[in-house]
Amino acid sequence: MTEFRDEFLSEEDLDLQNLTDEELEAVWTAWLYQAQITNDEDRYTYSHGVFTHEPVDEANPESGPLKDKLP
Amino acid sequence: MSIYLELTRKFNHGRTRAILAGGQAVVLHRLAIMSKDGDWILREESESTEYVLSILEEYGARYRFGAPLDVRWLAGGWSSHLEFQRQGMRVRTDFVTRPPRLDEDSLQRVWRGAEGQDVPFLGAVELANMKKTNREKDYAVIGELARKMSDVDDQLLHSRSARDLIGLVEQYPDRARRLAEKRPVLAMIGQGREALEAALDAERRRLIRTNEERLGRYLDASRPWAAMWPSLSRQMEELTLSAAHRLMVCQAETGLPFLVPGGWP
Repeated sequence: MTEFRDEFLSEEDLDLQNLTDEELEAVWTAWLYQAQITNDEDRYTYSHGVFTHEPVDEANPESGPLKDKLP
Repeated sequence: MSIYLELTRKFNHGRTRAILAGGQAVVLHRLAIMSKDGDWILREESESTEYVLSILEEYGARYRFGAPLDVRWLAGGWSSHLEFQRQGMRVRTDFVTRPPRLDEDSLQRVWRGAEGQDVPFLGAVELANMKKTNREKDYAVIGELARKMSDVDDQLLHSRSARDLIGLVEQYPDRARRLAEKRPVLAMIGQGREALEAALDAERRRLIRTNEERLGRYLDASRPWAAMWPSLSRQMEELTLSAAHRLMVCQAETGLPFLVPGGWP
């Protein structure tokens, strides 16, 4: 019978362990460039820290996040 | 070279000031690449914040909404956020000196361990604690981080896998009993895998809610500052980073409290 293991990340993710330092840096930088395609989507949000959204600019509401997206 | 390695080395030129944390530390643990922003734990000293600010000025960084990079706010658990463009890449740099869920003792251990490292990055245990956020994806990372922990107690305290926990308890029943007070999920192991999985899910949801409540306290405390920000941000646009910083500090002294009750750790 097959012994299963709880999986949290993909095999592709975990394959990072087999890369040399140089390969890891190359894959990492390539990934960061590829991830730039979501810059518009996350323009006003935060991924770390205690802030979650940039505040609305009342004088220029088009320049900031929509009010209904604020927490 | 990865921008995050480059920045970490520059921040730490001459002395250890900054420890790479979050998603970029997960990369250095060789678990996954899943975040495009960088965050660091800074040494809570003016020399560190001023030095880091001077490096970021060289990159043409500007402030995003957040606390000034100043120890008076950072000591209260606030975070500072800056951003710049580099060779077609948006680079975000986020800073805290009091990371959530790491107490004073843990922080002191972290700094002792970071001393003299070429690229200091957060160890698996502390990273797992920081990752107890309100984002589901962070719990997958904790699950894999737990498997990299060398100490069995740490594995028992952080594992997200019912199978792994059952295996650990079979090998180390006394340790699991001793740690059950600290992590009540461990007391469920005798009731079988399904009950344990349900308890792990409930534990994750509880951690998510706890973090949301913590962020809510900072959100409430930052409302006056958020109202001031759009105008301040426009004033800062034409300034150098150091001049923008001075203006921001001056304004934050009236708009952003240093401390948030119940905010840190």
